[in-house]
Amino acid sequence: MTDTLAYPPRVTAFTATFWDGLREGKFRTTRCLRCRHITFPPKPVCPECWSDDLEWIDLSGRGILRSYTEVSAAPAIFAAEAPYVLCLVDLDEGIRCLSRVLADWDDLTPDLRVRVKIREAEPTYLFDFVLDEEGEVR
Amino acid sequence: METLASVVGIGALPVGKYNDVLEHEMLLRALIEAMADAGLSKHDIDALAFCLPRPYAEQRYFGTFMAGYLEIPIDDILVEVLGNGMTGGLAFDIAVDRVATGKAKVAVALGVNRELHVPTGEHMHLSMRAVGDVDFHVPFGVTPIAWYAFNATRYMHDYGLTREQLAAIPVKNRRHARLNPLAQLRKEITVEDVLNARPIVRPLGLLDVPPRSDGAVAIVVARPDIARSLGRGVDVVGRGFYHEGVHQVSSRPRDLTTFESAQVASAKAYKSAGITAADLDFAEVYAPCSIVELILTESIGLFPKGTGGVAAADGATSIGGQVPISPSGGLASRGHPPHVTPLYNVYEAVQQLRGEAGDRQIAGASIGAVTAELGDYNATMMHILTSAGEARS
Repeated sequence: MTDTLAYPPRVTAFTATFWDGLREGKFRTTRCLRCRHITFPPKPVCPECWSDDLEWIDLSGRGILRSYTEVSAAPAIFAAEAPYVLCLVDLDEGIRCLSRVLADWDDLTPDLRVRVKIREAEPTYLFDFVLDEEGEVR
Repeated sequence: METLASVVGIGALPVGKYNDVLEHEMLLRALIEAMADAGLSKHDIDALAFCLPRPYAEQRYFGTFMAGYLEIPIDDILVEVLGNGMTGGLAFDIAVDRVATGKAKVAVALGVNRELHVPTGEHMHLSMRAVGDVDFHVPFGVTPIAWYAFNATRYMHDYGLTREQLAAIPVKNRRHARLNPLAQLRKEITVEDVLNARPIVRPLGLLDVPPRSDGAVAIVVARPDIARSLGRGVDVVGRGFYHEGVHQVSSRPRDLTTFESAQVASAKAYKSAGITAADLDFAEVYAPCSIVELILTESIGLFPKGTGGVAAADGATSIGGQVPISPSGGLASRGHPPHVTPLYNVYEAVQQLRGEAGDRQIAGASIGAVTAELGDYNATMMHILTSAGEARS
């Protein structure tokens, strides 16, 4: 099933590498070739050292559930999707994403392992997280 | 302790719903009240620092419109500022700075925030675009209050805070608001009411978060010698600001249970005033949610980390307690017209320091702090105010 995003991102020549990557099953961001800093969202300049000498890398898509909240009072265009659970995920590469976690509230607790799940949608694909049962070794 | 400037006049409308009046009709009432309170006339005003109204306010170019509407020639500066929740704090800071640096003898920080004429869902369509990155975060349906819920989930996990302890904060604030004629919500609530309220951003419910509100405030700031001649001084004796370089959602893992900006800005404010956190008689803080007040009281040094919830539940932050927090009733009960909320905080602090807070007067209040913030407390502005004369000790 393909969703239509209520509020799609804008895609530019630079960010297309990320959004098109999702269609290919890749979850990517930028890494600085000068200081090796990885950042998310991908940026055309390294926020650590401001170098524009960058490369695209594939992320593992795995990390821990740092925190989460179930949104009941949603903006009008998201009302049909409510309630939904937003999450902050700290990826193993040392970067933070905001996304949704596709799980029941009662199954959630901070620090659970999670992994990315690409959402087929239009006009762009998006990414959610799911509990990573296999990764539950801490 | 050195006086930067003095507050000589305050004016404010009760926070609430103003559907049948215009923005400028609200603001002129607050301004005229504040100038009368100061005993000054429009010809004394050298500088006007306006809070930018909400983006859907009909009247654009509001500050200069207002100067025209009330025919106020301005010698020093007229500005309109925006910093989301910090907007009123920036306006006050500019007014204090123009006076402290000798550019103005009298400067007014003022603003009106009217939003109840716009439906909540429509308002949220605008406000969500202020959260994080509009392309990489907003498509998930993020809301401005959601980031505080992230703080709450993590804090409850890390420190064993219970929902009952957290609920003590809205209950305390409502008790304070019941004593404040400016407050929007004054019906008594209990811990059970807070626990049973409909969920908004779980674990936070309706009574943990602020209502939507309209309001208007004006604060008149003057040189200390003018304040003395008017017999009207509350002194501004310290100030601190810090922005973390983070916009709500950090690109790197970082703590969700401490507000770094509040730690840094409060330390600067205490140092510039020559005091410590223990010297505060009260704090009137910008805390939209229960969890924000809890974390803030720890981050500005009033309680050790992990103990703010127990302290609040034990009454330490109530009027009559160890250090009363938000004697006005705070954002969730006094009401929250965000762009001018920090000016309502100054208004309350001035009333407390003048001994004019009526039934909610904190006995012997002589040193107080006010805060403003933006984002997930990613930036903090703190001012330290004292009752006149305190500064010369």
